[in-house]
Amino acid sequence: MSEAGYKELKKGGMMRQAEAGLFSVRLHVVGGRLATPQLRAIQDAADRFGRGEIHLTSRQGVEIPFVPQDSLSVLKEFLAPSGVGVGVCGPTVRTVTACQGCRVCPSGVIDSPELAEAVDRELYGKPVPHKFKVGISGCVNNCMKAEENDAGIKGWIEPRWEKSACDFCGICEAVCPSKAIVISAGDGRLVIDPELCIGCGDCITSCPSGSMREKSRGYRIFAGGKFGRRPSLGKRILGVLRTKEEAMEAILAVLDFFRVHGKPRERFGDTLQGTGYPALETFVKRRTGLG
Amino acid sequence: MTMPLLDITGDVCPMTFVKVKMGLQQIAPPGKLNVRLKEEALKNVISSLKAEGHRVTNVSREGTIFLLEVEKTSGATK
Repeated sequence: MSEAGYKELKKGGMMRQAEAGLFSVRLHVVGGRLATPQLRAIQDAADRFGRGEIHLTSRQGVEIPFVPQDSLSVLKEFLAPSGVGVGVCGPTVRTVTACQGCRVCPSGVIDSPELAEAVDRELYGKPVPHKFKVGISGCVNNCMKAEENDAGIKGWIEPRWEKSACDFCGICEAVCPSKAIVISAGDGRLVIDPELCIGCGDCITSCPSGSMREKSRGYRIFAGGKFGRRPSLGKRILGVLRTKEEAMEAILAVLDFFRVHGKPRERFGDTLQGTGYPALETFVKRRTGLG
Repeated sequence: MTMPLLDITGDVCPMTFVKVKMGLQQIAPPGKLNVRLKEEALKNVISSLKAEGHRVTNVSREGTIFLLEVEKTSGATK
């Protein structure tokens, strides 16, 4: 088979193995969620076309290894009725990862699987200058490692201080994990530094008087993270977005920025090294009207 | 009458939570319990107190040790 032929197969989720003629077939999974009939179909497919092995990838993906080249199209047809599609590779938007979100996890702030489904529907497999990964954490405990993704999202709680109810007990200042709260009880002042605040809401949970309240809860966007040979962490952009529609708009705008400024085979984080983050923020704000 | 004092500065979660819960069981509403605890226990102890309907009515501190005055409210669920 020609290199061009392999490249086409790879784009469609068929990964050439070390041993000639064998492929590891990448499947389409969103937010690590599969229904039991899908799992059964994957099991049957691995038994029938592979060697009865399934590989769970580092980003919630599933691959069936040891599939001979002449079984690839049959395997695809075999899985289709169960709603299991094949995955993607190459310069495309990759698997969208997500935790279980607020419908399952007591810590959850946003419905991360719901947003993951929406992002996947809109963007999965779409061409971009280089691979582009999206990861969605339901809260700032950040199980999905938002900062490791080209675009990451975290559920976020932004506090506000209601002076009238406060007796300056100092608990919020003591529990704040990022030292974002400074109290000067003497002059009746309390300052929350929004740059230092990590959006955990611990100050609200712990406040005995109810003077630390929610200003907003929603979505926080991080851009430019990656792992691989030269890891770098994404940085946050924009303020707290209130709805999943706003989060979606922001992600679309981020991706447009990458399409405009990214060079082929250049990860988004490297593109941002050139353009700087302010250029991205300005672009996204102008495109979406978001703050 | 002096208010009972529960010192949980030597405990870690979940014993901090368990001891406060047991301490409150000894008290008839609307009685009060003083809880002495370390900074790191504040979040979990206060959030569970609030979740069960009790109130923290006073807070004082000695460095990193906090003293909470907890009121067992009659409407409390537990």
